[in-house]
Amino acid sequence: MIRTVILAAVFLAGAALMSLEMASFRLVQPEFGSDIVVWGSLISVFLGGLAIGAYLGGRLADRGPAMWKLALVLAVAGVVTLTLPLYAGAVLDWMYPGEGAPLPAEWDRAGGGASGDQLAVYEPPDLRWPVLGAGLLLFAGPSILLGMVTPYSARLLIRSIPSLGRGVGQVSAVSTVGSILGTLATAFYLVAWMGTRWLLAANGLVLLGLGVMLALAHLAARRTPQKV
Amino acid sequence: MRHSRIVALAAVLATAALTAMLALQGAGGRDAGAVVRYEYESKYFKIRVVDYPDEGRRCLHFSRSRGVQSSMFLDDPVKLDLRYSKTMMAALALKPEAKDLLLVGLGGASIPKFIQKHFPDLRMDIVELDPDVVRVCQEYFAFKGTPNTRVVVMDGRMYFKRAEKKYDVILLDAYAADHIPFHLTTREFIALVKDRLKPGGLVASNLWEHVVNRFYHAELKTFQEAFPQVYLLPAGTSGNIIVFGSAETDPVSREEWVRRARAVARGRDLGFDLGDLVGEEYRYYTDRPNAEKALTDDMAPIDTMRREHPKFFPGTGPDSGQEEPAAP
Repeated sequence: MIRTVILAAVFLAGAALMSLEMASFRLVQPEFGSDIVVWGSLISVFLGGLAIGAYLGGRLADRGPAMWKLALVLAVAGVVTLTLPLYAGAVLDWMYPGEGAPLPAEWDRAGGGASGDQLAVYEPPDLRWPVLGAGLLLFAGPSILLGMVTPYSARLLIRSIPSLGRGVGQVSAVSTVGSILGTLATAFYLVAWMGTRWLLAANGLVLLGLGVMLALAHLAARRTPQKV
Repeated sequence: MRHSRIVALAAVLATAALTAMLALQGAGGRDAGAVVRYEYESKYFKIRVVDYPDEGRRCLHFSRSRGVQSSMFLDDPVKLDLRYSKTMMAALALKPEAKDLLLVGLGGASIPKFIQKHFPDLRMDIVELDPDVVRVCQEYFAFKGTPNTRVVVMDGRMYFKRAEKKYDVILLDAYAADHIPFHLTTREFIALVKDRLKPGGLVASNLWEHVVNRFYHAELKTFQEAFPQVYLLPAGTSGNIIVFGSAETDPVSREEWVRRARAVARGRDLGFDLGDLVGEEYRYYTDRPNAEKALTDDMAPIDTMRREHPKFFPGTGPDSGQEEPAAP
């Protein structure tokens, strides 16, 4: 029973992570465009968060593993995600690359366009650091927290060294399959069905719900001790 | 035993599929004799420059799409070829006194070259996402600078957010190979565009018509919400429709627009009858009922849609709009 609950949490956390990543593209594109620099920056923010989360989650798991701690991690990730739409606009504005070479309005003062056949071309501002910055501020938190889920769950589920490989493999597989389905569901249906803000909110609610579910399972398990 | 039979069956099926694919590829008669002049994988597109010697044309394609981004006559690089690009020139008939023009989406530079030649006094800024498209236009499509031409390499929406300059006419023509960037279709984007217009200014946008575009009416709704005057000019049977949003308070009748178009075509020696293009296709759309919701930054699934074969989206019949403005 508890095993199923934990694996379900791993699955849905994996789905929510990738759904959030898709939502992050949607959130950033209106301000920064659909540049490959934008996707690359956001993907690396999520991967970085996962790496840090895995490291921290593993350390935390060895210090007295308990299901309520995993519940807390998921609930905090849910709350952070739910509040994202409140400050996303301000963060994107703050990171917006306002500085750069003068635009055509200022070219008039500078003497105008081309000389001869030479085409007057304005080069774009550098998007790399602004998008990385906005991505870190908005999505580092949730992705670090969600990165903790897999190692922590493995520690809760695996009871003996001889079954270590199987246990780690199982948790990784369940998480990754969840991520695949989260990606596809978001790309194929959810963006068109609920829009970006509701997508963020729905992911937040799912994560918060998982936290509550694990907390309840923790209480139930304490009352009736059973084999995990 | 059984194994080898499966392998043999797979081989037969693969061969059949390959043959069918090759046959389908060759089915486009246009490709016979076509010469690929240049191919380049840019940051955004797979750029292909293809010559069609039988037709005397050079075309710009993105990705593997057969869709034509731009088409040029090899013996007359400035003459407009695609019907929609001619129809877009009706904007300059509606605003003949325009001094500042902005074009979003360079394509193969056919519209800029035409404007440079026939409207040399017009100050033209061009916003293009891909620096390699700018380079290819210079190398393969005879696009040159003039003192009145300036190119900004930037995402269209970022430009509108940063720009200080205001324009009399803004032309929107930004498409990828087979999809529309969603952030250039929303209510928030059109508000930024409108903010860059001089008083009484005009926006013309190239849309795919409803047969291939599920969001056609939603796109029109953003114009209906933003502009006091909205007109449509379908570009013949090309599948493109140009929507015009004008900040003027009074509508322009078909006769008046045709009159101005004939005057511009004559005065500027355009080489085609702009008056006919307006007269045959004019639709007044301002107060036409439209039950769709406008696209927003939050909800604009337009880029989940590819330009589809019409059979997948049977339309509800041609959208006629109103023939004339309602009597005041």
